[in-house]
Amino acid sequence: MGAHEDTLFRSADMSLTQLYISREIGREVVSALGEIGVMDFRDLNSDVSAFQRTFTQEIRRLDNVERQLRYFHAQMEKAGVPVRSIYEFDNIVAAPSASEIDELTDRCQSLENRIASLNESYETLKRREVELTEWRWVLREAGGFFDRARGQTEEIRNSLDDDDAPLLRDVEQHHTEDRSFSTMNIGFVAGVIPRERIAAFERILWRTLRGNLYMNQSEISEPIIDPETNEGVSKNVFVIFAHGREIIAKIRKISESLGADLYSVDENSELRRDQIHEVNTRLGELSNVLANTKQTLDVELTTISRSLAMWMVVVKKEKAVYQTLNKFSYDAARRTLIAEAWCPTSSLGMIKSTLQDVNDRAGSSVPTIVNQIKTNRTPPTYFKTNKFTLAFQTIIDAYGTAKYQEVNPGLPTIITFPFLFAVMFGDFGHGCIMTLAALAMIYWERPLSRGKQDELFAMAFYGRYIMLMMGVFSIYTGLIYCDAFSKELPLFQSMWEFPKEFNEGDSVVGVRREGYTYPFGMDWRWHDTDNDLIFSNSYKMKLSILLGWCHMTFSLCWSYINARHFKSKIDIWGNFVPGMIFFQSIFGYLAFCIIYKWSVDWYAIGEAPPSLLNMLIYMFLSPTTIDTPLYRGQMTVQNILLVMALLCVPVMLFLKPFWLRHVHNKARAQGYRGLGENSRVSALDDDDEAPTLNGGRASMGDDEDGAALITQDIQEEHEEFEFSEEMIHQVIHTIEFCLNCVSHTASYLRLWALSLAHQQLSIVLWKMTLDIAFGMTGVTAVIATVGLFYLWFVLTVMVLCVMEGTSAMLHSLRLHWVEAMSKHFMGDGVPFQPFSFTVLLEEDPVE
Amino acid sequence: MANGWSLIIGFVIVALFSGISWVAAPKGDTQTVWRSSLLLSAWACFIMWAITFLAQWHPLIVPINGKLRPGYD
Repeated sequence: MGAHEDTLFRSADMSLTQLYISREIGREVVSALGEIGVMDFRDLNSDVSAFQRTFTQEIRRLDNVERQLRYFHAQMEKAGVPVRSIYEFDNIVAAPSASEIDELTDRCQSLENRIASLNESYETLKRREVELTEWRWVLREAGGFFDRARGQTEEIRNSLDDDDAPLLRDVEQHHTEDRSFSTMNIGFVAGVIPRERIAAFERILWRTLRGNLYMNQSEISEPIIDPETNEGVSKNVFVIFAHGREIIAKIRKISESLGADLYSVDENSELRRDQIHEVNTRLGELSNVLANTKQTLDVELTTISRSLAMWMVVVKKEKAVYQTLNKFSYDAARRTLIAEAWCPTSSLGMIKSTLQDVNDRAGSSVPTIVNQIKTNRTPPTYFKTNKFTLAFQTIIDAYGTAKYQEVNPGLPTIITFPFLFAVMFGDFGHGCIMTLAALAMIYWERPLSRGKQDELFAMAFYGRYIMLMMGVFSIYTGLIYCDAFSKELPLFQSMWEFPKEFNEGDSVVGVRREGYTYPFGMDWRWHDTDNDLIFSNSYKMKLSILLGWCHMTFSLCWSYINARHFKSKIDIWGNFVPGMIFFQSIFGYLAFCIIYKWSVDWYAIGEAPPSLLNMLIYMFLSPTTIDTPLYRGQMTVQNILLVMALLCVPVMLFLKPFWLRHVHNKARAQGYRGLGENSRVSALDDDDEAPTLNGGRASMGDDEDGAALITQDIQEEHEEFEFSEEMIHQVIHTIEFCLNCVSHTASYLRLWALSLAHQQLSIVLWKMTLDIAFGMTGVTAVIATVGLFYLWFVLTVMVLCVMEGTSAMLHSLRLHWVEAMSKHFMGDGVPFQPFSFTVLLEEDPVE
Repeated sequence: MANGWSLIIGFVIVALFSGISWVAAPKGDTQTVWRSSLLLSAWACFIMWAITFLAQWHPLIVPINGKLRPGYD
């Protein structure tokens, strides 16, 4: 096969290449290859755990840098410093040199230390500030308590001594005035506690002290900011008076255990005023220092924010490079790196020139060697997509990866998927809405792809080109169905005329214009008629069957193309030909009958038209009788077709397995053996024999060094012929194919069902909203029209476009995955996953 | 104006269109996609139009409307 261009029709030609890279420029080479992103490196150290690989150290170091960058990012978010977007950098393609990376690492380290220390001092200061603020609150509030408490010392005293000293009351009653608490032996504890704990705090105090306390509290009006979490906590100030040192100590312990902060307060109001004054001064100083620290921190963060995004990209790429290098092997002297990679054959030239460039730039004397090696391994499947075809290919890949070089169903899907969707969604108006939405997404592609998207929108945005095609085809099918928001579109003169003379309420029967058929789509006169559904159901049902037949025949043909491409004649004669005959003699015949019946003018020839459904059923049940004939000689034709279909079943069943057995036996008779079978023979030979058996994949590594990287399991790709297995497989295939012909044809009736549902739903929506408004008169009509229009429009978009659209899309998806792809798709391929920075950054984007 | 010949004329037009788009498809990477898409859309649309036309060519039932009011347009 010549060097043909890579198209979407088949997987691109892939080559297994071997690279010999001088160790010094390994990093640069891999980095350059990551930029062009066309090589899928095989892991040559799969038996080595991640920790034992060569470049684990480098990866760890980069992990650390990445962590530091994330830390900066978190700090910026906390400080509200905006990060310069990655899209503002002009040139992030240039790969940094190793020394630049080292520099970045060191810089990150010192920056991290600096930021951490700044942060730490900032937090300490902040904590100090909070403490001072709390203390100020305590001082302020406690003053009130003391003043109040002073007036009530007696009561406090009484309540405290209530149970044990009733007699003392009389003695001390007389000189209560102007005594300080200390002389009364009453101590107090003042502090601040979170508000939600206050109830528990009171209860515990009450229980442990059996009520021997006097507690005062008040709420702090503003929330106190916790410096660690940066969140406001509402707190209360409390002052507890109690009698005796031990009790006071107990109270202190309880308060501290409940998370209260205790502050010393002087009971003397003079001293208290001094204290408040002092606290205020200190707070003022502190806030100055705080502002300075914060400013320094912000300046530092702003400097980092300018290049943070770029650093992240650089580190990510660098890490990926080392992860790839870890897949490589060494030669004996550990001077050359050896890599194996799959790449599209058409990219080999580009790869070579890229490697040459890297070599020249590095001034390395040892050139990088690219070797193409022959292998019997199945290459990975790679379809070169662009932004238009990508989403369609994703539909197919979601079902399975195509076998290497088989026909890619993704190519016809570009049209058939949106077309079958449109058959179900057919409405001119809804199609326009969808097209406009898709066009808007395509027009604002760049800004939209950079913004944050929620899940639903991201899905629609990813499939914007699918949506565009779906919308355009829906406009077309809408014109064919003659529906625009459930209303008719009188584009041409109707083929039906209603007589002018009739009474209101009469059933008016249409009269056909002689020799004239409505030229494009459904005649608009069918709209709103009494027997509209009878006609459109019959039409849409047949439309579904015919489209299904076309789609399935089309898909079945690909199996012929596949068999020819893989040079498997037996698949043509044992699967494709009998399958095609079977399908066509039953459902091809049905399609023919539908069209034939339509093309006959039954009234002109004065005969009754037969029911096609009954005809097909009786073709099997009683092949000898025909109730209402469709054409002359029908019975003969039908019986021949029936026999042909039935004959195809045994052909399909037995031809392929028996032929394969025949070929296998012949080969064995001539003395050939499978590769896996003669392992005993090769073991007796010397070691040099082994690589040549290996499909010509000569190993260049020295065996003693463990560098024999390519010795792969021979049996991996070789299958033993087993007749019974082949037979079972073929029986399953035959039964499945024959039954599926029936069920899949029936399955296409969903086209009819969904388009009917869509049409009826839009009619109902119209009748329930705008139609009501049009029946009104006067001012109410104006208001109702406006209001109901919005209702109608919103429901049209939400229900008819979004919901119905999603459902029609899923049905179209199913028709492709099951009904069409089962006819030819093998799908046992391995996806091509190139090492590419673009892919890497798409999967894990940096904002 | 429109009768059985329309089908054949339509077929010829789509066949011509197919030929032209095969030749005129932009060269380069996307040529296969252009060709396949133009051809498939042309034929899919033609099939759908032809089926609709055929269904109304010799209709077995006529529209009956009970909601018409005298003097309709």
